[in-house]
Amino acid sequence: MVRDPLAMRLADGDPRAPRELVERHYPELYRYAFAMLRDRPAAEDMVHDAFERALEALGRYPEERLRDMALRPWLYRITLNVVRNRLKRVREAPIEEAPAASASDEPDDSREAFLDVLAALGRLPERQRTAVVLRYLQDVPYAEISAATGWPEGTAKTLVRRGLARLRDLMIVEDKDGGRR
Amino acid sequence: MNKPFDDRAVERVAELLQVAERIAPPPDLASLVERALGGATDSFFDADSPIGPVYVAVGAAGVRYVAPAASAEEFARGYRRRFGRLLVEAAEDKAEDLKLRVSAALAGERIEVPVDLSETTPFQRRVLETVRGIPGGEVRPYVWVAREAGAPGASRAVGNVMANNPVPLLVPCHRVIRNDGRTGSYAFGAGQKIRLLEREGVSPRELAKAPYLATPTTGIVCHATCRDARRIRPENRRHFRSVGEATAAGYRPCKVCRPVAAA
Repeated sequence: MVRDPLAMRLADGDPRAPRELVERHYPELYRYAFAMLRDRPAAEDMVHDAFERALEALGRYPEERLRDMALRPWLYRITLNVVRNRLKRVREAPIEEAPAASASDEPDDSREAFLDVLAALGRLPERQRTAVVLRYLQDVPYAEISAATGWPEGTAKTLVRRGLARLRDLMIVEDKDGGRR
Repeated sequence: MNKPFDDRAVERVAELLQVAERIAPPPDLASLVERALGGATDSFFDADSPIGPVYVAVGAAGVRYVAPAASAEEFARGYRRRFGRLLVEAAEDKAEDLKLRVSAALAGERIEVPVDLSETTPFQRRVLETVRGIPGGEVRPYVWVAREAGAPGASRAVGNVMANNPVPLLVPCHRVIRNDGRTGSYAFGAGQKIRLLEREGVSPRELAKAPYLATPTTGIVCHATCRDARRIRPENRRHFRSVGEATAAGYRPCKVCRPVAAA
């Protein structure tokens, strides 16, 4: 196993390591949360909560455990849990769906298409959505998806395959229904 | 339910998904990073002190830990083991004021700095708060601290609390001495304790001879470093090795410094 140099610096007490950890993973965890929730403030909240949990846990772990940590899948696991709890809360207390926040200020065709994919993603069953987002949006290898979710790799692959097929169906239906393009 | 997987539509979906940069990170990323760090880590800075350079760790409620260390890494490791929290360097602008005040307090100036003793047990906290009230230039024996903290006779337990004082100098454990008047041990060395006390105008040699002082003009016995005792004229000074000896000679304990008879 290749050790993460940042994990070793955390174990050694390097006081710059915690900030580097947050800086290194904030963007990708934010992308994940945004893809799952399609709401900017909610995504920021989720990533904030995930990092608070992570940093508090890292403070409590013994040195040897810190040294061997695979930080990326571990952070994903925490973020997945935080997002899942949020989705559960939203389901229990249904609120009006937040409008899809814009990812940048200048809309163009491919961006619109991308937002359509995100919207369609929102209609996937949660496990498929998680698997597809991790694999394709975040480029997380199956081994790390497995580490983050606790699913066997074969399950992760199946969920991705079914998720993609479902997405395709959803988008074809949208194209037909709306004749948007 | 498994439709052919390699058709163009799926490819297009996958392609779109791979352009993850389309979800731009929040524009105020730097401040979001600081906010995430702020709630879940504590900060630290270095400072000069009479016992040499030290590191100072600060949580939301105040200073939690003061200790010398060979490096910031060593200090952060020790802090993590003891407090279970990660340390990051304090942001210059935010820490400047606190850093000045802490440095002054470490140097012995009477300046209020917030101290967070929430990690300690109720007994430890009472002991530390009691010791915090011993002013510069004065000392008190362990037995006195025990009684004032509501645990009469627990001198040894007080000694343990002193040995593990998380905020030395801010809680001046060097001003707590043995019941017989000798200065005793110190987390940073017995010699260091003597130097600190001499710096504050206390004479360890005199204390070792007689930790209590009485005057026939009032018939009162005090700790030798009590503010009132130091005003006794030289010709009126009566030295005692214990409060018991003094009361046997007809003196009553001072109501200001409250020496403990059972010393």
